Amino acid sequence: MGTQLRRACAAAVAVTTVVAAATACGGEDTAQAGVTTLRIIVNISPNLTEQYWKGLFAKYEQSHPKVKVNLELTGTISATAKLTQDLAAGDPPDIAQQITPTKENAGLFADLSGQAWTGQTPLADQYAVDGKRYLVGVGQQIQSLVFYNKSAFAKAGLDASTIRTLDQFQDAMAKLKGAGYTPLQTSGQWVPGAQFSLIADSGVLTADPDWTVKRKQGKVSFATGDYLKYFQRYRSWIDQGYLDKSALGLTYADGQTAFLDGKSAMYIMGSFFVPAADAAKKSDEIGVFSMPTDGAYPSGQFGNIANPYVVVNASKNKAAAIDFVKWLVTDPAAIESQLAADGNLRKGFTYPMSSLGAQVQKILEEAPSVLVKSGERQPVEGYPAELNTQVQKLYTGATAEQVAAGLDKWWNSQS
Amino acid sequence: MELAELTRRRERQAPQPGEPRRGSPRDGWLPARYRAKAVTFGLVAPSVLVYTVMTVVPVGVAIYLSLTDWNGFSDAVFIGFENYLHLFDDPSSTSAWYVTAVVAGAGTVLMIGGGMVYALLLKERSRTNSFFRTLAYYPHVISALILGFLWAAILGTNGAVNSTLQHLGIGPVGFLFEENLALVSLIGVIVWAGFGFNVVLFVAALQTVPAELLEAAAIDGASRRQTNLRVVIPMISPVVTVATVLNLVGLIKTYDLVVSLTNGGPAGATQTYSFLILARSFEGTKVGYANAQAVFLMVVCAVLALLVTAARNRQDRATTS
Repeated sequence: MGTQLRRACAAAVAVTTVVAAATACGGEDTAQAGVTTLRIIVNISPNLTEQYWKGLFAKYEQSHPKVKVNLELTGTISATAKLTQDLAAGDPPDIAQQITPTKENAGLFADLSGQAWTGQTPLADQYAVDGKRYLVGVGQQIQSLVFYNKSAFAKAGLDASTIRTLDQFQDAMAKLKGAGYTPLQTSGQWVPGAQFSLIADSGVLTADPDWTVKRKQGKVSFATGDYLKYFQRYRSWIDQGYLDKSALGLTYADGQTAFLDGKSAMYIMGSFFVPAADAAKKSDEIGVFSMPTDGAYPSGQFGNIANPYVVVNASKNKAAAIDFVKWLVTDPAAIESQLAADGNLRKGFTYPMSSLGAQVQKILEEAPSVLVKSGERQPVEGYPAELNTQVQKLYTGATAEQVAAGLDKWWNSQS
Repeated sequence: MELAELTRRRERQAPQPGEPRRGSPRDGWLPARYRAKAVTFGLVAPSVLVYTVMTVVPVGVAIYLSLTDWNGFSDAVFIGFENYLHLFDDPSSTSAWYVTAVVAGAGTVLMIGGGMVYALLLKERSRTNSFFRTLAYYPHVISALILGFLWAAILGTNGAVNSTLQHLGIGPVGFLFEENLALVSLIGVIVWAGFGFNVVLFVAALQTVPAELLEAAAIDGASRRQTNLRVVIPMISPVVTVATVLNLVGLIKTYDLVVSLTNGGPAGATQTYSFLILARSFEGTKVGYANAQAVFLMVVCAVLALLVTAARNRQDRATTS
């Protein structure tokens, strides 16, 4: 038995040595070839597909033959959760898209403030943390938009340019319902919360951009402030059949398709809806106007940075990663490709736009401000998901007061 | 233990003619009295190592992280039992526990009951029975995520069922958009996907029931129902206990079907505790809190498993005494 034990040990050592040697040799081959491999995690969406990203990265590889870019899929989790997992596993990627640094985690990302080119990128300073730029983006999205079916409006005798207040918006929904349309399209998943946010934030945050800061300080609440009015109004829309309860059983993509197919008359969504309308060849049948409010019109556009990138501090190829990010956000061809793919906008850049895209661009140009939820104006972690749950409760019988109180209770429990 | 005993017995045997004497110093580099222990240790060590690395260490790390405010990025700061206290004032937890309890309770009863009935119907060996057993087990081999997407396409507002109903002039049924019905749909899909596993377990167990007992029951004039209830099921009760524990613990951890079928909606009506941990706390970068939730869930699973097993053992003792 002693001999067997010795043989087993020897075999194990031999196998380990061979595997280790093979691994080491593999690494050496790559190093000898002088190829730097960059790993990047991105969010996959109906517009920004895996195929799209690979095509974009292939263009960089063509012009930089010594660099290979590997796309790492996030599966069913978000880019943030994937990065968390990778960091916990001690194997972070070099670059991540769609992650917003905060005071707590900024140290994990490369400070790009010293890179002069970051000054030319959109919203760079709005997303800075303590004055340092960790995040750079390709363009900006605007989201306080109401897309409408031109035929439905014509049938209901409506003129979109006259809808400026929420009362007018509500009257329009009544006429659209009378004309046989579902007035406002929604769906399940994250959509109800996001749409409610676009409706309410356009009013509340235009009137007081620091509302979220005050909510964190406990000076305002959902149950006693302007949000309650929006919850009440939204609930009344459900009761009057302007929003279809059964739409909660649709996916985001299904809801979008229902609107594109003309089953509903209006769809509150961000500028990233435009490529979907273009792809469905429906852009000319659809119009768009800025979200009506109870205050000034047009309101500030709720917006955010589009295709934001961070370089992970722990990257072993930080210089190459920064070069790649620089290309992504400053190379004209790369910018235009990314803007077009997701319907995003950037001053000084253009791409062949549909009539719908051009209307969105005009709304951005006429908007008095772009409201960005970053830094102190970011809600507490998990707020969008909780808001979505609470807004869906309006569909399943909860009152506006219950929802607002529930949201306050949840918010307070997170502090 | 048994293996070590066998080894010791063999060592005590006298050497055969021509076989070298055991235990002599030239036999090996270990004295004889340590050799058996070395063999035992050598055989057990890989399993212990794998178990330690794959289970004990992660659980230990999870417990440690549950006592910190780690967000997955920053340094983990020790905060004591703060996360555990937050478990009880987090409004999301209450509804998630309710959903989890309903899913686990109803799901276990239906999977065990359905699996038992199905197995009793198909216990005889025949090609037809084999076909139906395979049919029952088939969903179990498919990824739960895929099953969820499949059923979402069937039960969704624009799904196959509602489209058919709409052609018949019936409005959409809220399989996935009405709170109670969505929960029923989720449980239905879970039972459909999982009860085949119980069928396989029960059919295998049923085939071990001694024929003499069944003959004796028949001679005593027992009906088929009485035979099943009084003879067959008690005979396979250990397997039922194992299946109950496996189902219960598995359903308490339900996540993947929720993600793909309802994504926790509508209005959080199908949001299980595991979904809450992974889709809300972990995604919201509350990793320390997510670990506290996971540790708490682990304790609940362990307690429930122990309770079910203890109840079963008590019943067994009562039956035999």
